[in-house]
Amino acid sequence: MNNIVQDDFYLEEDTQKDKYLIFNLGNEFYGIEIKNVIEIIGMQPITPVPELPEYINGIINLRGKIIPVMDVRTRFKMPKIEYDDRTCIIVVDVDDISIGLIVDIVAEVITIEEENIVLPPENTRKYNRYIKGIGKLNNEVRLLLDCHKLLTEDELESLESVEEALE
Amino acid sequence: MSMNYSGDSLLGMFLFETTQLLEQLEESILNTEHTSSFTQEDINEIFRIMHTIKGSAAMMQYHNVSKLAHALEDLFDYLRSEENVEIDYSALTDLVFANVDFINEQIGKIEEGATEDDDATELINANRDFLAKIKNEDKGQSSSGEANASGNGKAGDGLQAEKNANFKYSYKATIYFSEGCEMENIRAFGIINNLEEVAGDIKHIPEDLMASEAAEEIKSSGFRFVFNSNCTYVDIHQLLMQTIFLKELELEQVDTSGEAKSDSKTLEANQSQASNVEKNQEATMASDVKKGQEDTTRQKQAQRQRPNLTHQSIISVPVEKLDKLMDLMGEFVISEAMVTQNPDLVGLELPNFEKSALQLKKITKELQEVVMSIRMVPLSATFNKMKRIVRDMGKKLDKEVTLTILGEETEVDKNIIEHISDPLMHLVRNALDHGLETKEDRIKAGKPAVGNIKLEAKNVGSDVLIIVQDDGKGINKDSIIRKAKEKGLLKRPVESMSDKDIFNLILLPGFSTNENVTEYSGRGVGMDVVTKGIEAIGGSVSIDSIEHVGTAFTMKIPLTLAIVDGMNVSVGESIYTIPTMNIKEFFKPVLEDIIIDPDKNEMVIVRGECYPILRLHNAFKVDTDVTDFEDGIFIIVKHDQHTICLFVDRLIGQQQIVVKALPEYILRSKRVKGLAGCTLLGDGSISLIIDVSGLNDLL
Amino acid sequence: MKNVLIVDDAAFMRMSIKMTLQKHGFNVVGEADNGKVAVEKYLELRPDLVTMDITMPEMTGIEALKEIVKNDPQANVIMVSAMGQEMLVKEAIISGAKSFVVKPFTEDTLIKVLDKFK
Repeated sequence: MNNIVQDDFYLEEDTQKDKYLIFNLGNEFYGIEIKNVIEIIGMQPITPVPELPEYINGIINLRGKIIPVMDVRTRFKMPKIEYDDRTCIIVVDVDDISIGLIVDIVAEVITIEEENIVLPPENTRKYNRYIKGIGKLNNEVRLLLDCHKLLTEDELESLESVEEALE
Repeated sequence: MSMNYSGDSLLGMFLFETTQLLEQLEESILNTEHTSSFTQEDINEIFRIMHTIKGSAAMMQYHNVSKLAHALEDLFDYLRSEENVEIDYSALTDLVFANVDFINEQIGKIEEGATEDDDATELINANRDFLAKIKNEDKGQSSSGEANASGNGKAGDGLQAEKNANFKYSYKATIYFSEGCEMENIRAFGIINNLEEVAGDIKHIPEDLMASEAAEEIKSSGFRFVFNSNCTYVDIHQLLMQTIFLKELELEQVDTSGEAKSDSKTLEANQSQASNVEKNQEATMASDVKKGQEDTTRQKQAQRQRPNLTHQSIISVPVEKLDKLMDLMGEFVISEAMVTQNPDLVGLELPNFEKSALQLKKITKELQEVVMSIRMVPLSATFNKMKRIVRDMGKKLDKEVTLTILGEETEVDKNIIEHISDPLMHLVRNALDHGLETKEDRIKAGKPAVGNIKLEAKNVGSDVLIIVQDDGKGINKDSIIRKAKEKGLLKRPVESMSDKDIFNLILLPGFSTNENVTEYSGRGVGMDVVTKGIEAIGGSVSIDSIEHVGTAFTMKIPLTLAIVDGMNVSVGESIYTIPTMNIKEFFKPVLEDIIIDPDKNEMVIVRGECYPILRLHNAFKVDTDVTDFEDGIFIIVKHDQHTICLFVDRLIGQQQIVVKALPEYILRSKRVKGLAGCTLLGDGSISLIIDVSGLNDLL
Repeated sequence: MKNVLIVDDAAFMRMSIKMTLQKHGFNVVGEADNGKVAVEKYLELRPDLVTMDITMPEMTGIEALKEIVKNDPQANVIMVSAMGQEMLVKEAIISGAKSFVVKPFTEDTLIKVLDKFK
């Protein structure tokens, strides 16, 4: 019986392989691995929680489950824009932590084969610590996000800002 | 693992059952302490429990635990078969407790994920030494079952003699058993037992199947036997081939010429076997006699309730399921509010709806009560653990103590029980160590030499009080004040402090020092761990004491954690919930009562008492138009000694709320001060629950 | 499919035997946690096979075995014993037990014994 379950599991893994959910922040296209995505919901009333980093807007009630939401723009130090009816919250699950990511627009789900993904250039300072690869699709590029880093990369951030200040 | 267990359910069952058995064992031993002796039923019970643990642990590959249980089982097996053994009761209980502790410790480690258990050689040897010692002292005492045993042995002979008539054929056979089948000697006995129906003159090597080395011998050289029978080779072969765990069978028909020779040998063999049977059956019979006694004692035992093990009408359910049920119940309460207080209904006249809504409300309430009651567990198990602590510590400190337990049937939520065990243990240790005087001092003070510690639980409203009271020397106020001064913990003039205020100094972090740290109560931490532990579940601790008479620590804890009464308040667009139990009063601010000191600290005078004001919009950085005191409202909240005046925009109303934890990501990214969690309101929005004990830090 | 009654006072043991048996296509029709219940259940369920623990409260496995065999001389009772219980196992065999396994046993061992009665 175990084998059957496992087969199913692999099968599911397989159909999710190389698939990315693409969203926009301004003019830039970003992608996150589909296996991390739980669902996409419209903008919700957000309850602010004191003493949180600026990029965490607060918490929302997702059918009885309380999850935090992060403004990805703020996280990337991009200028804030007004939320509108195209603003979406992508609910992702990373290492058993559920979190909502606020993005401008959700575009599509696409397949990017592994051979079409290159590592980001070493010396671009701009938010590259959250990018784990650049996917090429025809003549356009998609910046593929590292969800894990998006959630955990705090210490590094402060370290680098010190370095920057030193330079 | 010896079996391909799938999942953790088996491990879970092992841990659960073993823990339960150990608790049961500990309790029955503590019950024997009044008489300082074991009854036959106690001995049987301990034997059985160790037997079960031995088997289960071995199946789970915890060999050290299994071996240890085996050694103790052997000891009690001897005790139950030898009635008149002189035993050192105290030494034996110590030994049993040491075993229980060791196994418990291993269980704890396994629960935390350890895959192997620790070596138990030392304890195993202690068990064996004890057994050897009582065996020596008991030498020469013979069992009363002897007469029966020999009678039975002869009956076996008779059966063989009957078949010892004219046989047509003689056979010689060797059987090898597959490896790991265990008890090869008994399996061989089984073969002989079967064979006896069709054969006679059976003679085998090893001769004595019950000898200690018989199994080993069969393992290495096989089980060899000769016999006479009227059955054909094919029949015999078929019969022997049915042997379970048969690895190899060599069977040959021997010609009859050798028969005369083997005949006389057979007779010898029979005789020697008979005497062996006799000897060996002594033990069996002795235990038979025992069993007779057990039957009567067992009826008594049956009356001593062990509901979890024997009653089929009780089922055990994993706690996670109960937690889930509780969660769902919470959702349900919220949904009910969402429906019956739906904003769409405002202004409508719906008599039928109202009627149904009322019914729904009633059922919801009943359902909630039932769900809560499922999670309620009596305090007795927690209290019983204290018996053991009092006993062990009393012995070590050479203080004689009786422990009086009252209200152990009082029930509290399962989650809360887990939180009070440690504080309670700390208080009991403290009472024994610091509360009670030494025997000499007690006698000098004109008190009975035996001290008393009272453990009491009782329901008071929606709280449970747990009181640990000793009749010891009480607390000397002067020495507390002195010590608090030394530590710089005295924040107020002594004159303004009540006795209770002074006693409560003990509970402050940093009060307990190394000088009174002992092996037991100290452990390098102060009484503040008690306060912290109890406050974590929304309770509080208070102290009463009369010098030379005694001290009482009272822990006040809520019946249940997850659903509390709360007052919703608004600040700007945010809604916060304050647990009703923390609210002393609320009122419209009167400007004349408000004081602002040179440092811009705001305070309010209420009936002569002065409280600091905490503007919630400042503390939580919320935008609001209500910044002038006369536009908002004051809420006096109290937690322990701290009383604070909260300033909020307005009150929304009171309701039962289901406490939910903040998401882990939030808790991880920042220690959120002053928040105990969150809850869902009737309209689906989220309200943050204020942790009154944490507000002090926000001032 | 053979119907089996599992008798053991330890829930853990019952569970582990049950898991093994079900895996190998036996049908566990009942469980009992002492000898008395075992006899009652045997008479009620008439299983093809019984796994019988020896040391139990109320009524031991040996006593239960004797009761069962008295009612049904053809009963297939397999004793589940522990090391050190040689004497009791011997008594069980004399009393009509068909075979026995010794705790701790492996899946293979248990199945090997029970398969004989399949």
